Amino acid sequence: MSTTLTNIHSRTTLPASLIVAATEIGGAILLGAFLLAESTPLVVALLAVMGALFAAMQYRPQIEEVIVAAFHDARGLATALAVAIVLIYPFFLGGNTYALHLLIVSLLYSVLALALNFQLGSANIPNFATGATYGIGAYTSALLAIHLGWSFWATLPAAAIVATVFGFLLGIPSMRTRDSYLALVTIAFGIVIHQMLNNLSWTGGPNGLVGIPAPSLLGHSFMRPIELFGFRLPSQANFYYLSAALLGLAILSAKRLHESRVGLAWNAIRADELAAKCQGINVVWYKILAFGVDAFLAAFAGTIYAFYISYISPDNFTFLVSVTIMTMVIVGGMDNTLGVILGAFLLTMLPEKLRVFSDYRLLFVSVVVILFLILRPKGLFPQRQRHYGGQR
Amino acid sequence: MTTPLLKLSGLGIRFGGLVALDAVDLTVAPSTITCIIGPNGAGKSTLFNLITGIYRPTSGTVALQGDPITGLPAHRIAARGIARTFQSSRLFEDLSILDNVIIGMHGRTRTDVLTALLRPAKSRRELEACAAEAETILRGISDELFARRYQPAGILPQADRRRLEIARALASHPKLILLDEPSSGMDDRDTAALMADIRRVMADNPGLSFLIIEHDMRLVAELPDNVVVIDYGKKIAEGDFATVRQLPRVQQAYLGQKAVEHA
Repeated sequence: MSTTLTNIHSRTTLPASLIVAATEIGGAILLGAFLLAESTPLVVALLAVMGALFAAMQYRPQIEEVIVAAFHDARGLATALAVAIVLIYPFFLGGNTYALHLLIVSLLYSVLALALNFQLGSANIPNFATGATYGIGAYTSALLAIHLGWSFWATLPAAAIVATVFGFLLGIPSMRTRDSYLALVTIAFGIVIHQMLNNLSWTGGPNGLVGIPAPSLLGHSFMRPIELFGFRLPSQANFYYLSAALLGLAILSAKRLHESRVGLAWNAIRADELAAKCQGINVVWYKILAFGVDAFLAAFAGTIYAFYISYISPDNFTFLVSVTIMTMVIVGGMDNTLGVILGAFLLTMLPEKLRVFSDYRLLFVSVVVILFLILRPKGLFPQRQRHYGGQR
Repeated sequence: MTTPLLKLSGLGIRFGGLVALDAVDLTVAPSTITCIIGPNGAGKSTLFNLITGIYRPTSGTVALQGDPITGLPAHRIAARGIARTFQSSRLFEDLSILDNVIIGMHGRTRTDVLTALLRPAKSRRELEACAAEAETILRGISDELFARRYQPAGILPQADRRRLEIARALASHPKLILLDEPSSGMDDRDTAALMADIRRVMADNPGLSFLIIEHDMRLVAELPDNVVVIDYGKKIAEGDFATVRQLPRVQQAYLGQKAVEHA
């Protein structure tokens, strides 16, 4: 009864396109307000608004259903509008470079969280080494650029390939273990990589690598501001668009893998390994594959980070980074692309916005995270069932 | 007789000093139902685990249509055409009923990571075709399962869980289906429905055979062409149920030495 009512509601009284537009523009405005909020009371108020929205969705599941249905009905509009919003977003930040910086870091962490989601979310592999593969990507591209003079665009695929090899190298021995023991192996791998970066001379030791040259595209250096139609965007905008493009690529990959035989096989392994084996799934190979895909995407994020900051050191790629990425996936919602991205944005921006609490800010971040998890126990946006044949 | 569908010769496994299964010979012909009975702990489930590659046998061989499959990994054996269900049903609880059946087709489909990423149309076509076939299979098994196909498998009651497991097994187009105590936790009505399901599935799939571990004697009396009795890891009898049940060593295995003497 209630589903028929909501269907009628979404199809007749409110057109899908209107719901899509309102959701996307509303989300963009909320994000913008959060990015630009200076005073703590305003930040807390915005968090309360978010909390209220999620509480509404928790207690009135139809709201989520109506929105999901609308996005399905008006897919074309949803994608076009999202791309348009991403393109014009920097113009609304009023040249606020700090807000732009936060956005870039959030976008890169979204990519990392989506990379980990292939393992943790899809296949339930607790990999604590995403920070390490991120670092391998960053160091590979930085070394190639500094010592061999490779351009940014050439280092991107090279770093991804090197990191994927490392991903397989970690994946193969990990297959002899499972669950908590597997987690321990990945933690050890992460620490080994961190120690190597710290102690080898050719990685610059604890001082890291300095002077990574800025990329350029068609003669436009990424150091220079973007000037367009009389508007002037700070130089960070270059990296904003680059990171957004990478996130777009990551979303597309996540969607395609999720909606294929591969994603189903990963989900089967997550639910029951033995039963998966008996359906003809090569469990070991699919798990190693998840390590490879995770490393491949993480390396892209690492490369962009290295060229954006132009300085990297081992401290950027610690065990703590891996734990943060894992928290993003869990808080956002395992195996739900939108949820994972939201988790990444929330956990990147919260510590920055709660700086007023200085030494206690991580405590407050944890409190907010726990409150959100109490409100939405399965993550902000939990996984959804697949549908076939054009059905929702 | 033509080549047997499944042939076990001297199959055995020992765990350290314990001989769990000792030199079992068994032949399953196409289009037949074989029931395996025996007291708890006799080694029936171990036999299933050996056939499906969960365990590696320490002696003997397994052949499917004459091809040796001894010691192959479980996923390879599944792809060769042996599907199974488990004693405590193992569904993919958080996935939809339809996805459970589609995953059963994994061994027959080919999309890999690169195809999924670079040729999404091909990958989607393959999955849509699987979904359409899975719907047909579900509708053949039970209208109710079909109607609930987008709900998670975890919410199903026991009888429907067995049905879904059988549907998932059928999805791989197997030559042989192994059912491990399919009627456990079912009442008489459900068991009767289960037997009807198995007969219908056999009629729809010529050549398909069943190997069933069962405790429910009503089912064992009615359904199989052949009954195999296992006790203490050894095959102690084989034949049709009426003959097998009269054998003293079978009665002894079930009821104990004393009870047989007093009878």
